[in-house]
Amino acid sequence: MIMTKKFIGKRIVRNEDPQLLTGQALFVDDVEIPGMLHAAFLRSDYAHARLLSIDVSAARQRPGVVAVFTAEDMGDDWQPGPPLVSPPPTAKDVIFYSRRQVPLVKDKVRHAGEAIAVVIAESRYIAEDAVEDILIELEPLEAVVDLEKGLEAGSPLVHDDLESNLAAHLFQKKGDYEEARSKADLVIKRRIIIDRGAASAMENRGIVAHWEAKSQHLTIWDTTQAPIPIRNGTAARLGLSEHQVRVIAPFIGGGFGPKMMMFYAEEMVIPWVSKKLNRPIKWIEDRRENFYATTQERGQIHDVEIALSSDGHILGLKDVFLHDTGAYDPYGLTIPLNTQCHTMGGYDVKNFTTEVSVVFTNKTLVTPVRGAGRPQGIFIIERLLDIASKELGIDLVEIRKRNLIPPDAFPYEHKIIDQAFAPLILDSGNYWPVMEKALEMIGYEEFVKDEQPRLRKEGKYVGIGFAPFIESTGVGPYEGARVTVEASGKISVATGIGTQGQGHFTAFAQIVAEQVGVAVKDVRIVTGDTTEFHWGTGTFASRGAVVAGNAIHAASSIVRKKILELASKVLETPIDELELDDGLVRVVDIPHKTISLGELALLANPLRGAVEPGTEPGLEATAYFGPNYGATAFGTHAMILEVDPETMMIKIKRYVTVEDCGTVLNPLILEGQIHGGVSMGIGNAYYEQLHFDENGQLLNASFADYLIPSATEIPRIEVGHVETRSSLNELGTKGVGEAGTIPVPALFAQAIENALYNQELEILEMPLSPNRLFELLNK
Amino acid sequence: MKIEGEYTFDGPREDVWKLVRDPEVLATCLPGTQSLHLVGENEYEGEVNVHIGPIAGVFSGRLLVSNEVPPESCTLTGEGKGKPGFVNGTGNVQLFEQGDNKTLMKYAGEVQIGGRLASVGQRMIDTVSKSMIRQGLGTLNDAIKARAVARAEAKEVEYTPPSETEFAAAVTKDLAGGLFSSKRFVWLALAVIAVILLVTIWLVVR
Repeated sequence: MIMTKKFIGKRIVRNEDPQLLTGQALFVDDVEIPGMLHAAFLRSDYAHARLLSIDVSAARQRPGVVAVFTAEDMGDDWQPGPPLVSPPPTAKDVIFYSRRQVPLVKDKVRHAGEAIAVVIAESRYIAEDAVEDILIELEPLEAVVDLEKGLEAGSPLVHDDLESNLAAHLFQKKGDYEEARSKADLVIKRRIIIDRGAASAMENRGIVAHWEAKSQHLTIWDTTQAPIPIRNGTAARLGLSEHQVRVIAPFIGGGFGPKMMMFYAEEMVIPWVSKKLNRPIKWIEDRRENFYATTQERGQIHDVEIALSSDGHILGLKDVFLHDTGAYDPYGLTIPLNTQCHTMGGYDVKNFTTEVSVVFTNKTLVTPVRGAGRPQGIFIIERLLDIASKELGIDLVEIRKRNLIPPDAFPYEHKIIDQAFAPLILDSGNYWPVMEKALEMIGYEEFVKDEQPRLRKEGKYVGIGFAPFIESTGVGPYEGARVTVEASGKISVATGIGTQGQGHFTAFAQIVAEQVGVAVKDVRIVTGDTTEFHWGTGTFASRGAVVAGNAIHAASSIVRKKILELASKVLETPIDELELDDGLVRVVDIPHKTISLGELALLANPLRGAVEPGTEPGLEATAYFGPNYGATAFGTHAMILEVDPETMMIKIKRYVTVEDCGTVLNPLILEGQIHGGVSMGIGNAYYEQLHFDENGQLLNASFADYLIPSATEIPRIEVGHVETRSSLNELGTKGVGEAGTIPVPALFAQAIENALYNQELEILEMPLSPNRLFELLNK
Repeated sequence: MKIEGEYTFDGPREDVWKLVRDPEVLATCLPGTQSLHLVGENEYEGEVNVHIGPIAGVFSGRLLVSNEVPPESCTLTGEGKGKPGFVNGTGNVQLFEQGDNKTLMKYAGEVQIGGRLASVGQRMIDTVSKSMIRQGLGTLNDAIKARAVARAEAKEVEYTPPSETEFAAAVTKDLAGGLFSSKRFVWLALAVIAVILLVTIWLVVR
């Protein structure tokens, strides 16, 4: 039977929106439990200091304070967080020192904002006041802030038991760069610096833990992207069975990476306190805490080299870089591996060496933030090609076109390993049509030929840019889902991943509806509740729609089969003469001969009689999906911007993106993802930068000083699609969650240089700002 | 953060030196100082009220005077901490006879700031600290002049140091002055003044 797609790929408005828009969605801070206490943390003002003494007696005596805990009070329960990702076993000569964050500082503070003690009180107000009653003696130590100085001999040490601040070292090689270089007509060497930013989710972190002694059960509401690992880890930490712990990740106001299965200090402390005091405990992060205590990303220093032939072909690429991991490295090498895997972009680079040294610093921890190492890689290759274009006198479009991986080369193996330690294979792609479409949409040729010269004559500094990129998405290990037809005829679905605004309740419902023939609104999706589904990892690495989506597709396909088998018996009609539509199974040739899914569900779960041996009751199935390796999406962004030569403020005139993320489940949701991603990228490129001073103090820890783009900075974003199905999964999907963010810094650099055509300007750093651009021009 | 500057006092070096080393006078010239006690030969302990933009709070700390070469120079080492964070610093103060009853003070130091003071107050800290130093030294100079007058007329010293409110208003003026110099920020400066005044008034009324 041929299935035309009825739901997949349709612009369907989101199932979850009425609940969200009317304020009826449950967020962690909405959880109220009788007898609930509130927590506040004492955090270090110093970035690096020895903890000499701590006196909490006055805090304990404040009326309304129930308890105060320090590392000492936790006894043997004081354990660092679990390693989240181990070093790659497949890479040779890899050095990796695992140092994980601690629940409360025991001996030494390693970054400003690290938690030292927790106060539990009847209200947050009292708890905050009592935090100030704590007397603490810290001996300040010289802080490690600069990556290069941090590796010099004699540098102060973030971790005293290590010989240096080197956290990891990894070398990867494809082909022979040195040989390629010896044959090159042009070698370009540059130093490229990318600095830190914050994820700045609208909702900060929060956790409510409720230990019930009578039922010996712990319930945790947590703003986590990965509730299942948090459940398993918490059970292990507290010596409980995994089934004694339920972790619920309810609606979350943005994840962007830092809310992954971190085991933040607060995630370790709050459940422990709840069990200790036998009371529900709530902690909600405030924005200042978020700037200090929630993970950040992007700090890297690259010394790169590209070897080209005179006709613009890339012969080889070499990158030696430093990566800032902050005070601890629970997330292993995920980010630098991502950078390594994206430094070649979508280009056919035959010779590549890449070497990273990961450095401990006295700064907030670094873990993936939307883009996760990829924007750095793309920035490097695109900048180098921009420079090469100028040096060789080859058009910006042409030099890229000559180097793109051709469509017949897929699957394309890069012979290095990716963040999942699997060989980096680009599964599928057809890159030129995507780039071409973006250039067409923005009217590249006409702009450069006609409009730009005219505007320049008027004295305007108007620039155009385009930046292609790849995005590795949808990595393993696996996700699962359970799909059930209920007696009402509606469908209930549970999957393990959490949701932070991605539209899962709609996109997943469309996948189910496609298989079982019900309306999208009649599919109820539950995400992120370990009681509902407790196998899986979480929402990250642009993998929700790919991995959980395909698991849901697989479970729905089995349910579809069960429905048809039962209906075939009841309707006494062969399966291939049946169709599923409108919540009914219908005999194709006799349209009035039908049975509803609800009736079938009842028949499959009878109250009397016998269920045949070897069969299962109900119309239900659980299935899993785990890809061999990630699916690689591709896209190109283009924009036209104007620079005010006096203030260096920019105005984006047009912004175009074309994405190829395989099968599109719902263009409306996809466009939302792109809009959000581009906004974050614009922040990364021109507004957002975390400024630390030489003592490791964050100097702009508020939204008055740390600028995130607002509605006035975000242009209308035009989104185009090209679909090249992934061969790695049945739906043919690839991820797109991070795509919007990845090429934006590279795009900005090209467009700004193009706008300021008559100036000596080569942008080799990100983020920029009006101030910084002014400085660069006056160097 | 580096702090550097100079100031000319209307008095002889000996007088300036004496005043600088008198905790009561020092307390008056650092407005917001709630207490300053000599606890050792060269060591003071005290509490200071600080308002910088949205940040307000009491700092408690100690000040150590070392390398003393009266009446020429000394090194000041201070550390303070409070709800808004911490301030640690070391500075050198030198006094030069300028003749005509004038004394030039040169000061240079390095200050480390942390906590909320650094993370939220950074934008304003430079202007505010410069202003506070200028105001403080101005007050000190007024005290010197008052003493000189008193000595000349063989009377009691008649001098009232500015109140905390007056001081805060002066700092606000400086803060606004810095902003006014770039015309684009006039509206911002006005907003800042309004907010700081409101906060100040609120603090006083309370």
